[in-house]
Amino acid sequence: MQQSLSTKTLMKSTAIAIIIAALVLITIILPAEYNVDPTGVGAKLGLTALANPTISNVANKEAKQSSDNFDIIVPAGRGVEFKFSLQQFQKMKYEWQTDGEPLYFDLHGEPEGDTTGYFESYAIATLNKMEGSFTAPFTGAHGWYWKNKSNTPITVKLKVNGEYVIIGLKQ
Amino acid sequence: MIRSTLDLPVTKKTYQLFFSILALSLIGLIPFESMAHGVDENTRHFLLNNKGVQFIAFMYIGAKHMVTGYDHLLFLVGVIFFLYKSRDILLYVSMFTLGHSVTLLLGVLWDIQVNAYLIDAIIGLSVVYKGFDNLGGFQRVLGFSPNPQRAVLIFGLFHGFGLATKLQEFQLPQDGLFINLIAFNLGVELGQFSALVFILLAISFWRKHHTFQQFSITTNTLLMSAGFMLIGFQLTGYFVI
Repeated sequence: MQQSLSTKTLMKSTAIAIIIAALVLITIILPAEYNVDPTGVGAKLGLTALANPTISNVANKEAKQSSDNFDIIVPAGRGVEFKFSLQQFQKMKYEWQTDGEPLYFDLHGEPEGDTTGYFESYAIATLNKMEGSFTAPFTGAHGWYWKNKSNTPITVKLKVNGEYVIIGLKQ
Repeated sequence: MIRSTLDLPVTKKTYQLFFSILALSLIGLIPFESMAHGVDENTRHFLLNNKGVQFIAFMYIGAKHMVTGYDHLLFLVGVIFFLYKSRDILLYVSMFTLGHSVTLLLGVLWDIQVNAYLIDAIIGLSVVYKGFDNLGGFQRVLGFSPNPQRAVLIFGLFHGFGLATKLQEFQLPQDGLFINLIAFNLGVELGQFSALVFILLAISFWRKHHTFQQFSITTNTLLMSAGFMLIGFQLTGYFVI
């Protein structure tokens, strides 16, 4: 209202605004906020590590923390489940990676004593690594289902930290 | 531009002063924590455990949310960018206040559930709108500019829903809710007022300088850009989380 720009300048300004916004979003904001990193620039800048910022200062306060490392082999063309028992509101911090090959996975929880086969998924994707944390919404078995759709076995290196009892592998 | 002969020569010092004030005012807009969505950890604990009336505490949370809420502040920067008279500034800020107070109070009291990401995306849109309007875009494209006072009021309503969603996350107990809400709302206005003082200081200082004219296009383009970023950020959140 206060400016009298030519249509050309106006369009140029708008286009520049959109281009800057798109560049910053794709390379910086989305990797840092959601671990969404289509270009890989966010990971190179170390921004994707920010995507789960609250873990360190919250989880460290708990007393009965434990920490474990596992090597889980997912056979070719098969799926495996690896579970931990958590009480309601207990937290787990995790980090896993394959040797590069992506795996379909479903991070979920099953309520204790449930016989209907009900489960609640916290994350479903196909990735070769992931880190994050979750708070158990109910007492029960919580963990991953990994599915290997390739022709060779894939090893998942899993690192967990939190309040849990290991249940382990369920085939 | 009229320049009187009494104008001081633009020395290096003036530039330095100008840029340091600009830098300081920008720092105020940069989020140190991800505040524009949600509240920080200590506030979270407080809100989850609170029972009954806590007037000053809720007022503080409201003020803090506003001062650190860069989405609200960006919109305010856009709104007052070309307002020169204090009467206009008062009028527009009152419209904004009226808008967001209504939806903040009703949103929480009537428990109107709106998606926080979508609301925050609309708040981003309000920033784009204001930047585009400041560039004279609506005049150029539509042949007229949407009534700016009405627009501030309407976008104010959305900003209020945004504030409401932050409180609704906590399912605040009914006990003392109304008083706590009034306190939160008062805090929001206090925070808005103190942020405005700084924004106005910086802008009116800048206006005296010829770079204000030179950079007003750039500034409003960047404002639009920031609005687009907010939209992208919140919409991605809506689809990813």
